[in-house]
Amino acid sequence: MIVDAYEERLLVTSDSHLGSFFCDARQGMIRFFEYACTNQYNVCINGDGIDVLHTSLPKIVRETANFLREFRQFAQEAKVTIYYTIGNHDIILEHYLADWGPLRLVPFLNLTSGEKRIRIEHGHLYDPFFSRHPDMQDALTRFGGMICRIYPPWYNWYKLYGVLKYQYLGKLIGKDGQHSTGLTQHNENPPYIEAAEELARRGFDAVIFGHSHNPGITPLNGNRAKYFNTGSWFDQPYFVEINHGETSLKPWPVNSSTGG
Amino acid sequence: MASPFLDERTYKSGDLVFTEGEKGAEMFIVQEGKVIVTRQVAGTEVFLATVGRGDFFGEMAVLESLPRSATCRALDDTRLLAIRTGELLMKIRRDPTFAFEMLQHMSRRIRYLDDQLALIMESEKLSREELDRLRATSEYPQKDHP
Repeated sequence: MIVDAYEERLLVTSDSHLGSFFCDARQGMIRFFEYACTNQYNVCINGDGIDVLHTSLPKIVRETANFLREFRQFAQEAKVTIYYTIGNHDIILEHYLADWGPLRLVPFLNLTSGEKRIRIEHGHLYDPFFSRHPDMQDALTRFGGMICRIYPPWYNWYKLYGVLKYQYLGKLIGKDGQHSTGLTQHNENPPYIEAAEELARRGFDAVIFGHSHNPGITPLNGNRAKYFNTGSWFDQPYFVEINHGETSLKPWPVNSSTGG
Repeated sequence: MASPFLDERTYKSGDLVFTEGEKGAEMFIVQEGKVIVTRQVAGTEVFLATVGRGDFFGEMAVLESLPRSATCRALDDTRLLAIRTGELLMKIRRDPTFAFEMLQHMSRRIRYLDDQLALIMESEKLSREELDRLRATSEYPQKDHP
C-alpha cells in the first residue's frame, strides 16, 4: 500500500460527506476540482469524502456514481492525480473506491513537497471515542444523522457541546483546548493536537487532519511545525494549498461563482 | 503535550550513534540531518544505507534484545528522537501509523534481501538442494522461551 508520495502542488480538503442528507457538497466539490485542474494542482480528499453513515442507499448511489464519474473524467482528461485517504464515514467503501481506477486510496500520506515533509491523515484514529468504542460511535453517528435530518440545527448544538467539553471542562482539569494560531484562535480538541505533536516530532513540517470539523492552524514542536485542520463542508469548507513545500489554509468560497 | 519521555539528542557530523556489537535498548527516528549505516565484513567497513529525515533505525536491537548489527554515525549535524524498548508500545498507542510504517519498512527489507539472495544463488549457481543444505547448517532464529 502506498503511503509515500512526492507532489510539488497539491490541494487537500476533507469531510465533504457526499451522500449525506444534510451536506450538499457535490457541486462545490466539482468546482473545487475545476479549480485544481485550472491551476495545475493534484488533489487529496482527506477522508469522509463520501458518507455512508448519514444516507440512504438510493441517495448515495445517485450522488456518488455521478461524482465518481466526474472524478474519473478529471483524472483522465486533466491528468489530475487524486489521493483519497480513508476516514471513518467511508471506511467500508475502501474496496469499492479502490476499483474506481483514478483514485489512489491511501491509509495516510507521507508527502514530500519541496524540502518539506507533510503528513496527511483523516485523524479519526486519534478520536478517543472512536478508538475505544468504534461500534458505539458508528451507531451514535447514525442516530445523530437521523436527528439532524429531523432537526438540522442539532448539528450546531453538537459542535457547541464539543467546544464546551474541551474548553471549559478542559480548563477545570487544567487542559486548555485553545491554541494560538496565525488564522484564528483554533479551538481544536486536545487529542488531535497531541497526535499531531507526536507526528511532528517524527520529522514532519506539517500535519493535516480533517475529522474534527474544526478548521484552523496550531503551531507544533516548538514552532518547528504546524497542524492544519480543513474543517468540513457541513459549515464553511477550508482547504490546504501545498505549493513547493509551502502550506497555507484557505477558505473555499461557498457562495461565490466558484463556490458550492 | 508530546511524550515527555521521548528523548531528543543532537550529534555533530561524524559522531557515533552506536557501534556494531554493542548492547542497545533504543531505536532512533531522524528528526533532522542524516545517519550513515555501516557494517564490518571480513575486516572491511561496508556501507549499508543512509538514513534521512523521518526514517528510523536501530529497531532490530530493540525488538530482539540482541547486540547492534551495524554501526551508525551522524553524517551531518543531526537531531534524533530516541525511543527505549518500553516506550515503543506507548509510542505505537499514541501514533499507530508508526507501527504501520515500521512493518512496511521491515517488509521492504525482506523483499530486498530475497532479491539479493536470488541474485547470489544465480551468480553462485546454487541449486535448490545446495541452498537447503546451507540452510540446514545455519540455525533459524527461534522465539526465546524462558
